[in-house]
Amino acid sequence: MLQSYFKLAVKVLLRRKFFTFISLFAVSATLLVLLVAAAMLDGVFGPRAPEIRSDRTLGAYLMSMSGPDRTRTAFPGFAFLDQQARNLPGVERMTVFSVPSSVASYPDGRKVSSFLKRTDGDYWKVLDFTFLEGGPYSAEDDVSGNSVAVINATTRRRFFGEASALGKTLEADGQSFRVVGVVPDVPFVRVAPFADIWVPIGTARTSGFRHDLVGEYMALFLASDRSALPGIRAAFQERLRNTPLPDPKMYDTLHGGADSLFDSAARILLTDRFEDSRPERLRALLLGLAVAFMLLPALNLANINLSRILERSSEIGVRKAFGASARTLVGQFLVENVVLTLVGAALGLVFAAATLAAINRSGLIPYAQFTVSLRVFAWAVGMALFFGILSGVLPAWRMSRMHAVQALRGSSL
Amino acid sequence: MIRHLLKLVWNRKRSNALLLLEIFCSFLVVFGVATSALFVWSNYRRPLGFEWKDVWSVSIDTKVVGDDAWTPQQNELIERLIAEARSVPGVVGAAGIDNTPFGFETNNAGWTSDGKRLRSEAVDATLEVPTVLGLQVAAGRLFEPADNAAPWRAVVINRALARARFGADDPLGKRLRERDPSEPEERVVGVVDEFRRGGELALPGNLFLRLTRPGQPSDRSGRRILVRVEPGATVAIEERLVRRLQAVAPDWSFEVQPLSRLRASAFRLWITPVAVGAIVAFFLLSMVALGLLGVLWQNLLRRTGEMGLRRATGASALDVQRQVLLEQALLTTLGVLLGLALVLQLPLFGWIGWIGKPVFAGGVLLAIVALYALTLLCSFYPSLMARRMEPAEALRYE
Repeated sequence: MLQSYFKLAVKVLLRRKFFTFISLFAVSATLLVLLVAAAMLDGVFGPRAPEIRSDRTLGAYLMSMSGPDRTRTAFPGFAFLDQQARNLPGVERMTVFSVPSSVASYPDGRKVSSFLKRTDGDYWKVLDFTFLEGGPYSAEDDVSGNSVAVINATTRRRFFGEASALGKTLEADGQSFRVVGVVPDVPFVRVAPFADIWVPIGTARTSGFRHDLVGEYMALFLASDRSALPGIRAAFQERLRNTPLPDPKMYDTLHGGADSLFDSAARILLTDRFEDSRPERLRALLLGLAVAFMLLPALNLANINLSRILERSSEIGVRKAFGASARTLVGQFLVENVVLTLVGAALGLVFAAATLAAINRSGLIPYAQFTVSLRVFAWAVGMALFFGILSGVLPAWRMSRMHAVQALRGSSL
Repeated sequence: MIRHLLKLVWNRKRSNALLLLEIFCSFLVVFGVATSALFVWSNYRRPLGFEWKDVWSVSIDTKVVGDDAWTPQQNELIERLIAEARSVPGVVGAAGIDNTPFGFETNNAGWTSDGKRLRSEAVDATLEVPTVLGLQVAAGRLFEPADNAAPWRAVVINRALARARFGADDPLGKRLRERDPSEPEERVVGVVDEFRRGGELALPGNLFLRLTRPGQPSDRSGRRILVRVEPGATVAIEERLVRRLQAVAPDWSFEVQPLSRLRASAFRLWITPVAVGAIVAFFLLSMVALGLLGVLWQNLLRRTGEMGLRRATGASALDVQRQVLLEQALLTTLGVLLGLALVLQLPLFGWIGWIGKPVFAGGVLLAIVALYALTLLCSFYPSLMARRMEPAEALRYE
């Protein structure tokens, strides 16, 4: 049955090439835009090396401190993460690292701007970096404040050309570091792993940050397995509540959470003080936007479809006369339309891959590596199905209601 | 004629309803993109009010988060840094400011004066900021060295704030805000036409520059130093500058960025969403155009008999063409009217804010023109087909 519908659909599509071209253009352009958006979201939130265990990793990415008449929204502070958030039940390993800060270096009269991130030794165990050369620094390096650094491939090229960087020193932010490892570039949009230069926290020139409850640090918690995640979230909230605040008259509450990346995005976008994370709301919002965007193209396609079925009225008349039910006809037409949108989605995917490659090349987002992943492909299929049904249901319903006699005569709807 | 055409449109209401909805949605899309593009453009054309060439912005990272971690010692250290920057060879002038020109961080002040709720951007600036940035005074004067010793804080306001706060009155010598007696008075000493700190594309608004007096714990100094350098200054000067600053404050970090670069990235951040919107809208409109063309063509084929009848009863070929075009224009008018009914709610509810009425009107106008152009262009070929129909052929159709 489906097979004959499919054959019929292909026949109909090939019959009027101009119309097929118009429809395909509409479908592929619509899905191109949506797929590029989906791929970019996936590039920000999806699992990507070195965050390959993101399904059992939570992060403390945001934190705020509020009092009767003031709120400070920033990132978690080092003191909170180091003294209050350690040893959460179910956490196998934890790492604390700073928000990247922009630093300047002047190797042989040139200027190089880089992002520098200070991390502990476990950072390299929670995140799975592959090393191009050398290896990570250790917890001992952090404790004793050894001036060692891991750099990314681009930084190696900027400082040392094509040569190996191991053992060489580079100066950043007025401090010298000996390079112990080189890792591939990580996209700017990946909050936890992104940096150009990584150095131990122990090398920091100041110590003020060690007393901050809210500050410029983040943490990742690697759970022993996925089932431990809810417990970790709850325990983190517990710790937030029980953390003593130095001046309760000024600030009396800490807000934040152990989140997935998407939870954090919901926290920052949908709440004022990071007090609550409602990922389901953000998801609904994104879906709503996608559907709203599809509205005009769907109307357009529905219009084209509607005028196309008119030319097939005699076929419909014959089928009706031989007893095809309205339901069968609706089904047939929807299948035809979905075949069309699937072909459009395939084209859209190709265009989306080209667009993403152009975005990656443009340098608009540092080290962008947006690709059409398997998940984006699944999204493409889902969107095409939805779009096909959205734009096909009205014409199909109209068609099924044609009177057999009128349809056979070929008069208007 | 129009009434008759309306009837024709009405008779085909079921297939026309969807077309109408499509035109309505397209109108909204064009309106949205046209208005934002016009807004960006009109914003860009307003004068900037300062000179950014050969000025560098040095951000100071004090490794302390938040304002309540501020100490008078930091004020003093920043004063020393500004003095140090001024003494570097190749540097013409240096000044302290809280938020850099072309930056996205802003400090806003909200207060009530004479029963009016006012909001304004507040910029903390040292004495030399007007000189380093080349501000032009419109009334009164800019900061003077004597202001540094005054018991009140000298304030320079922009024209928009002068109008919002003082109306037609002369603002000079007046108090900007009524504040707690423990805080120093803010006295307006001058008015500038514009000082668009956020850059050419930032939103227009009220702004005041408030003098940071050295040695006053109440005046928090900003964490940025603006440095005017000699034209053609090189990286070597930048490196020397950073090393000298680093020597004065070894615990802090410094980052130098020419305002030209900050300006370029601010541009990119403002233009990118509009450009993406325009590209997406172009896609949408071209698919709508192609779709309309196809639908109208198809519809016309189905009405061949009707057209033939008109020709047979004496209508000229041109009449038939005109009928097709007018019908489409009528449908467009209905769609546009629907769109207008929705869009015009925005000014009624006061939701156009800083977009301003001229830009809004321009966006509406552009959308109307674009839709008529689009739909008439799409119906032109079908109408030509109608015109070229042979009456005898057309009547025989079916």
